[in-house]
Amino acid sequence: MTVVRARAVTKTFGTGRAARTVLRGADLDVAAGELVAVVGRSGSGKSTLLHVLAGLDRADSGTIEIAGGRVDGVRDAKLTALRARAIGFVFQFFHLVPELTGEENVLLPTRVGSPLTARGSANGSLRRAHELIDRLDLRDVARSLPHELSGGEQQRFAIARALVNDPPVVLADEPIGNLDPVSGAVVLSLLRGVADEGRAVAMVTHQPEAAAIADRVVRLEDGRLVG
Amino acid sequence: MRRGRTLLAAAIVFAAALVAGTALTAAVSLSGGFERAADRADLPDLIVRFDATARGDVERRLAALPNVETTRYRTEFNGVWLQGGGGRATNGAVHAVEPGRRGYAIARGRDLRGSGETVVEAGVAREWGLEPGDTLSIAGGRLRIVGVSISPDNVAYPLAKAPRVYVDRRDLGRIGDDVNLALAWLRDPARADVTLAQARAVSFGLDDLRFITRDGVRVLIGQAAGIVIALLVAFSLVAVTTAGIMLGASARSEVARRLPSIGVQRAVGFSRASVVREQAARGALLAAPAAAVGLAAGALAMRGAAERLLAALNEIGPGAGLLWWLAGAWLAIVALVAAASAWPAWSATREPIAALLRGGELAVGKRPRRWLRPRPTSPSPPHNAGNRRLSTVSRIVSALGGGGGGLGALGARLASARRVRWAATVAVLGAASATLVLLLALASLLVSLRDDPGTVGKTYALTANLPPSAVAEVERIPGVAKAAERTAVEASAAFSLGQPLRLVGFARGAEDFEAPPLAEGRRRRAADEAEVGVGLADALGLRPGSRLAVALPGGREGRFRVAGVVRALENDGRIAYVREDRLDALGASGNTVVAVRLERGADRAAVGRGLGALGARPSEAAAATTRNRGFLGVLATVLRIVAVTVALVCLVVLAQALVLTARERRPTLALLRTVGAGRASIARVLAGACAAVLVPAALLGVAVEVLVLGPAVASLAAGYAGLSLAPTAGHLALAAGALAALGAAAVAVVARRVEREAVVAGLREEA
Amino acid sequence: MKRRARRGAATPRGAATLTLLATLAAACGIEERAPQVPGSTLRATVVDPDGDGTLERGPAERLVDRTDLAPRGRGATREVARLGQLTDSHVRDEESPARVPFLDRLGPPVTSTFRPQEAVSPQVLTAAVRSLNAERPQAVLVTGDLLDNAQRNELDQLLAVLAGGPVDPNSGGGGYRGVQAASNPDGSFYRPSVDAPRHRGVLNRAQEQFFSPGLRAPWYAALGNHDLLVQGELAPSPRTDAIATGDEALFTFAPELRGTLDDLPRSDEATPDLRDVPPEEIERLLERGVPGRETRVAPDAARRSVSARELVRRLRAAGTPAPPGDRLDYVADLGPRLRVVVLDTVNREGGAEGVLLPAQVRFLARALRRAGTQSVVVVDHHGLDRTRGGDAALRLLDADRRVVAELSGDTHRHAIRPRRTRAGGFWQITTASLADWPQQGRMVRLVEGPDGSRALETWTVDHAGGLDGQDLAGFGRRMAFLDAQGGRPQRFAGARRDRNARLWLPPRRP
Repeated sequence: MTVVRARAVTKTFGTGRAARTVLRGADLDVAAGELVAVVGRSGSGKSTLLHVLAGLDRADSGTIEIAGGRVDGVRDAKLTALRARAIGFVFQFFHLVPELTGEENVLLPTRVGSPLTARGSANGSLRRAHELIDRLDLRDVARSLPHELSGGEQQRFAIARALVNDPPVVLADEPIGNLDPVSGAVVLSLLRGVADEGRAVAMVTHQPEAAAIADRVVRLEDGRLVG
Repeated sequence: MRRGRTLLAAAIVFAAALVAGTALTAAVSLSGGFERAADRADLPDLIVRFDATARGDVERRLAALPNVETTRYRTEFNGVWLQGGGGRATNGAVHAVEPGRRGYAIARGRDLRGSGETVVEAGVAREWGLEPGDTLSIAGGRLRIVGVSISPDNVAYPLAKAPRVYVDRRDLGRIGDDVNLALAWLRDPARADVTLAQARAVSFGLDDLRFITRDGVRVLIGQAAGIVIALLVAFSLVAVTTAGIMLGASARSEVARRLPSIGVQRAVGFSRASVVREQAARGALLAAPAAAVGLAAGALAMRGAAERLLAALNEIGPGAGLLWWLAGAWLAIVALVAAASAWPAWSATREPIAALLRGGELAVGKRPRRWLRPRPTSPSPPHNAGNRRLSTVSRIVSALGGGGGGLGALGARLASARRVRWAATVAVLGAASATLVLLLALASLLVSLRDDPGTVGKTYALTANLPPSAVAEVERIPGVAKAAERTAVEASAAFSLGQPLRLVGFARGAEDFEAPPLAEGRRRRAADEAEVGVGLADALGLRPGSRLAVALPGGREGRFRVAGVVRALENDGRIAYVREDRLDALGASGNTVVAVRLERGADRAAVGRGLGALGARPSEAAAATTRNRGFLGVLATVLRIVAVTVALVCLVVLAQALVLTARERRPTLALLRTVGAGRASIARVLAGACAAVLVPAALLGVAVEVLVLGPAVASLAAGYAGLSLAPTAGHLALAAGALAALGAAAVAVVARRVEREAVVAGLREEA
Repeated sequence: MKRRARRGAATPRGAATLTLLATLAAACGIEERAPQVPGSTLRATVVDPDGDGTLERGPAERLVDRTDLAPRGRGATREVARLGQLTDSHVRDEESPARVPFLDRLGPPVTSTFRPQEAVSPQVLTAAVRSLNAERPQAVLVTGDLLDNAQRNELDQLLAVLAGGPVDPNSGGGGYRGVQAASNPDGSFYRPSVDAPRHRGVLNRAQEQFFSPGLRAPWYAALGNHDLLVQGELAPSPRTDAIATGDEALFTFAPELRGTLDDLPRSDEATPDLRDVPPEEIERLLERGVPGRETRVAPDAARRSVSARELVRRLRAAGTPAPPGDRLDYVADLGPRLRVVVLDTVNREGGAEGVLLPAQVRFLARALRRAGTQSVVVVDHHGLDRTRGGDAALRLLDADRRVVAELSGDTHRHAIRPRRTRAGGFWQITTASLADWPQQGRMVRLVEGPDGSRALETWTVDHAGGLDGQDLAGFGRRMAFLDAQGGRPQRFAGARRDRNARLWLPPRRP
């Protein structure tokens, strides 16, 4: 079942002579349980594609559908509700809130939005969070602040955070770009497991070992997705 | 975005300058008003009133006094029928003046020259719509108005009950040579008391004698509105201080905002000095126009109200002199902003350039402060969500944001992460809230000044003409806190038999029923002690420790030791407060009433009915200021202007604090939006941040007002009345509500701003 | 109300404190101490240049040439005689019950019954003695009203001051007890602790013993009405003595008194004396047990009145060459060049006016006859043209070319009038008192020139009290100046020509 569907997405940055068109009618489908890797030269707009898919940035044109909900041309309020419900995002630089512990960071998505959009009851989220923390082997460092954690641990918390609301879609932007090979391998296997659980995972990367775990690899060339 | 920020910074300078302009105009106009008017009107140093006596007789006495430069005489007629323009009065005061120094200033038209002319006082002209050229009927005769005067020896009509006009003596030939008012100008006004002592020695034979020195006039005028003016002036000082704090904090955070660009400059090779110079110049350039506009706006807003207030007191505004003050204030503001920009730039450039480029705070790095960090604990049961061992302060801060680990708590922690900035914002808001609370207390005080005689030392509200035996019955009326006998005896000073005075006695234990503010000495204690009014002290040469000898009706003489001199308004200050049993022992009889003190919040009308049931017709005890609506209206306007200004300040400061927080924590906010935080959630975060600043600020503000500002301002006006500027629960609730409303407004505005931005922009920053 | 901003700790506190103190000192009106003590007005004067009631050192007053009697001569340089004059010192026992200070507020004619400086009369006299000593007169004439109330203790004080030695100004009990006390509720009296300018403790200090240097030159007294009459009006009697030495004093003004006082004759013209008030009125007021609140005072037997005989005897013992008896008419020759004739014009019956008996005129004639080639100066208290019976004496003087001047007092006012006569004329010099402003003495110096021209050079002398008013004599001068019923408004200081002048006399006939 296709959970992510993007058609003819275009995005241009800048104006006039400095205009740079990074997406020129890109199309992408990701099915549930599928892990798609998007590769390409750095600066080619891979991250932009993910941002646009999640509604973090607005495409100039094209349609995007995530888990049955439209992303393009939709009011911001509906967009955030969709994100809360359906999308988990993993960043290259982790983006953990420095003042919160790992555990609190994981619970962050459960606090936002109205209770109706959060999947399950608050108690359910809490239980899931602890499960994730245990599964990701973060029990010992759950109370630590991000600056006390290693890169791998931080990214694992980020993944737990992305999963805490049980989203059908997980988007990962260069997830191991800041990690050492060992941690990176762990993270990649986690992402593989996430896809195997039945979620649609789209991962942007420029590293071949990351592409290796994907079910499908597409290449972003000249603003279009190939492959 | 940049333009928005610049506008915001400029808005802060504007708000501060507005407050400063308002306060400065109020202070400069009001505090020097009497001196300006007295100088322009050539107010005499000594004014003496007495029963009509031959001019030659009085001249002989006054000419013999040391230090006298000039003397002039007038005859004052009271109870004259006046009609002109749109008004009339049966209690007009006509002053027949002679050529020479007059003791009043001409505001419009010209002074008296020939016969058939009159000069009217400015208050009368204003109220009755008179102009030079109009006609005035005086006791049936018609005179032409040639000028309008300002007479600073009294307040203006209608604050003064009698409208006053001047005519030439020669017009009233039939009045002969008798005068009843003498004006004396001294060569050295500072030695007026020496002249006054000699004047007493030669005043025997002048009846109903009253001396007023220039200082005494100032006190008299001050009584009418001095409480208010003193409070306003003192309050202005507070407001200016608030503005200064705000400016400093704002400039500092502006520099903080610009740290990355400073980093670039430093990386490129600019020296520290040039960076500092540039920041100072930027701050000054930003502040200069904003301050000019703000000062001008504040001055214009306050000017009308201040002028009206001064006119009611027969005082004069500073005129063009105010411009010098405003110019000075402008320079001060610009200099302050420049300095407040330079200093943090200087200290920031000590940082490594990389830190600057990172946008690093003026505090080092991004490590959250120790006191915010939850203490690491041993592993606890994973499902026990409530068992978090947060540090106490962290707990409090989180609690400010709405408890637990919620978004509000997060917001609170975000706001307080930058400790110095947080403290500066709290300080500014604290000053503003203290000012706000002070304003509310002031407003209530002004209302009570009008209605409650307690502010001139009378703590009883009603008097009833009942016999002393009824005191116990009166106290049984519900709403009555205490009742006491008050006896007033009209007597005269034993050695200056023309010197009338009033003795007022209260029963022992009820001395505090009537205790006007002390000018010198202390309250009476022993049975033979008295507190004398300033008017009596001047006339008889009394000081604490002197003896007062009174010739009572009935022939006996009473002697009292003067314990203190009080500022009493009754009977022109020719009054002495003594123990009632002393009056009894001396066989002095006078007018006895029962003074009734009400319980707080008692229904005056109900008590009045209760007194009526006992057979009395209660009357109200006189209070401090007039019920004159116009006058009080001006005061209310002044307060409102300042209140709005302060609220504006609060709003701007809050918005700025939130904007800065949002800007610095853009990545965090972007992340929250990524995980699905909509406008409401972002608002919750910002609300938490807002609360983390507002709540301590409010507490600080109340504490500052109760402990520092209220007592300081009250003591400045303490010469006039016993004042309390402590806020009531109602004031606090109102202030809290106002602050909460302002906070909500700031949160709404900033949340909208955050939301309009694309999420990815915030995410990119960390990269 | 402006508050000065606090500066950092770097400001030297000492400098700030000094500045503050200096400002306070200036604000309190503490006048700077004159580098020199007041004295001869040929060197410096005591004036109020800006009219603000504070006295300052002023410029010297040069002698004005007066040619009413004779034109200016050339170079009159030889000093024939050098006299000093002190008059109307009114040495006073201010605590005595035999006084009527409460009349003072009525204005003329009873303005002299109280003076704000009345407690320091011996100290003022002592200061005058000091400054006159500095002028080195050959002799000093003390021309009457030496005492104020004809009391024996007043005489004791006076003689102690003039002769030199310890002076005890106190009477009755210790300390001051009188109308100027702070406890007196009557604000018509200047009370130094209460009324401006405030001088705390001055009244008690005025009762303390002090030391007088005494006049160095021989001194000769004339009698005035206050030396022999109670309040200068009333002949002493056992009744008045009883009041004076009694223990009840009337300090305070009683309402009933007003009716009594309304009967007193009033006039617009102020006189330094109860001139126009009949003695009987004073007697009535003193005797009647005047209605009012009596204050208990400590009785003092020394307050009894001094008889004329006793007064003359004691003056004789102090150096005045008075004949035995109770009149003080005598002659004092100051060397071969000057004869001083002193006449006693006090009316023993009572009354402030002067009176001259025919026997005294005869005495004057004898004195003139025996004068030889001496110049003659006549000295009396009232001035012969204001003395009943003085015309006869004046006729004698008018005819005598040797008479150069008549010195008198009593009016408390400086005045110099030429008296033109067929014999050439002489000068009538009246000197102001030490009781009222200007509180000055006088020097008179007879000089002759080689061309026979003669002149009397006269100048006034301020007493040595400090200008800042901190010492008792200075305080006395300060209050005398401020007194609104005293010498300043009544212009007792006269015009310049009445003070410092060179009075040209007709030249000596060879």
